[in-house]
Amino acid sequence: MTSPVVPVNLGVVAPARRKPGLLRQLVSRPDGLAGLLILAFFTVLAMFPNLLVGPLETAITATGPRLAPPQAGYPLGTDELGRSMLNLVVHATRVSMVIGLLATLVTVFIGALLGITSGYVGGRLDAVTMRIADFFLVIPTFVLAIILTAIIRDVLGTGSKEIFGIRLSLITIVIVIGITSWSATARIIRSQTLSLKQRAFVDRARVIGSGDWRIMRKHILPNVTNLIVANAVLTFAGAILLETTLSFVGLGDPFQPSWGQILDAARNVGAPGLGAWWYFVPAGICIVLVVFAFTLLGSALDAILNPKLQARR
Amino acid sequence: MGPQYVLRRLATAMFTIVMIVLLNFVLFRAMPGSPERILLGRMPGVTAQVLEQTRARWGLDDPLFPDQFVSYISSTLSGDLGFSYSARGRPVTEVLAQHLWPTLILFGLGEVIAIAAGLALGSYSGWKRGSVVDYVGNGVSLVLYSTPYFLLGMGLLLVFATALGWFPTFGMNTAGATYDSVLDRLADFASHLALPLATVALGLIGQYAILMRSSIIDTLGEDYVTTARAMGLRDTRILSDHALPNAMLPTVTLVAINLGYVVAGAITVEVVFNWPGLGTLTVEALAARDYPVLQGVFLLLSVCVVFANLGADLLYGRLDPRVRT
Repeated sequence: MTSPVVPVNLGVVAPARRKPGLLRQLVSRPDGLAGLLILAFFTVLAMFPNLLVGPLETAITATGPRLAPPQAGYPLGTDELGRSMLNLVVHATRVSMVIGLLATLVTVFIGALLGITSGYVGGRLDAVTMRIADFFLVIPTFVLAIILTAIIRDVLGTGSKEIFGIRLSLITIVIVIGITSWSATARIIRSQTLSLKQRAFVDRARVIGSGDWRIMRKHILPNVTNLIVANAVLTFAGAILLETTLSFVGLGDPFQPSWGQILDAARNVGAPGLGAWWYFVPAGICIVLVVFAFTLLGSALDAILNPKLQARR
Repeated sequence: MGPQYVLRRLATAMFTIVMIVLLNFVLFRAMPGSPERILLGRMPGVTAQVLEQTRARWGLDDPLFPDQFVSYISSTLSGDLGFSYSARGRPVTEVLAQHLWPTLILFGLGEVIAIAAGLALGSYSGWKRGSVVDYVGNGVSLVLYSTPYFLLGMGLLLVFATALGWFPTFGMNTAGATYDSVLDRLADFASHLALPLATVALGLIGQYAILMRSSIIDTLGEDYVTTARAMGLRDTRILSDHALPNAMLPTVTLVAINLGYVVAGAITVEVVFNWPGLGTLTVEALAARDYPVLQGVFLLLSVCVVFANLGADLLYGRLDPRVRT
């Protein structure tokens, strides 16, 4: 029982005489290359913060002058507790990127699962799922996210427990981002599933006796993988922005600052009004660069995966 | 656009509003843990007696369905959204009404400016594809699109209020100021409005420009544009009479769809400038865990967005005779 050969699977190492791998195609485009380079830089920062700038400074271990502009020893200045901004921003890179990654995984998992099942099964399940997806697309999910985060935190409490090196209070944000942003992914995956379901290889699999679950896993999923990857890139950008915004309105964790948490602290101190630009400009540039990189990567992937679009633009 | 189209859109909007009300009910009452814990927060020294009183006062001992549900629906329909915990027990509706108009002014004006400027920029760069304006405009649009609104606001605040001192740093009026005339009052208000308004407009221009650019490029590839060209019409005429009206169609829908996202931006911009609207209210209510107010904000904003979408759908049906279903 061999599954029919489907000419997709770009993510896997390609045998000879096939199109060059996705990564090579990405690198050959200026937008793809720029996006990858920026992300590589931030990935390094996120992976080795302790090696690069030492452990995260706290109010106790802070040694610098208070709210001082950039100077020798403190290349990005200090905050109101005397902590080095460079130290904070590099550690925040890790927090922001890990939350973004986890939230993307959760979002894409929910979106792909619901998209594939509702597209494949169809009928009433499909109608209900898509109604709910539409609902989430229309309502201001950010306000819902604020309320959900607050309620979940009040109910669960905030301990010092950690999952994947992320404090429980921030895991709440991961879950909330997943709940509020799956609908776009689900819609896209569903429409692709609808068209795949009509194709001959799915009929063939059904005729030789494959069950629904097996068809979804072995035949539909590999064919929407590209779409899932392209979508995940955009979801990542959205997740970073949402996390930043949630932290900015006071839902961050001061014990594990993310970029958004730094910006919230800057606002509370009144940094823009005091002219303390070093407090929020570095974290701000990081956010814009990362989101911009994901946008570039997303458009590059889009162009590679949808050649029709490329010809038109 | 037949009556069926209108009825379908109306039904969808009503359905969404019913879902929002349901969600509001479920969020507050059917969460794990008990509502009175949320009501009382982490207040120390809560005795069993206080808990019992709270449960009785909020009707939490009645069965969830139908008693609590029916009373919730009927009070929501009559505009009673409960009482704010933090604003000394004032009705939520009153608190919301007080904060609504600053947001409406800021947002209404911001949207208008952004739509006008974004569409102009987008259609120009789409028309002159590959020109300097297109290149720079597209780059700036993409960067603006990647920037959270509040960050933009902090940047503008730093440059134009702190460094240059052109505009005040916070609020809607100068505190304690007395005005000689209405004009003075208006001028003061305008100088406070300038920076938040610029933030909202700049934050939105990016997405509208990107959208309009790709829409106009799509339209320019259509057969009727080629026909118009073959007929020897002038470029400006083709753009204004043939390409633009059709290219604007998708933006109508997208402006409405984006409203939900825009609301998030509104909240944070207001916080940066201490603009006393719904956004600042939300963040204050969040800090105080004032759930009735948070729920009220959610309900109000959602209903606004749903109606805006309904309006856009109906407008679209009007503008584009091809839409029938």
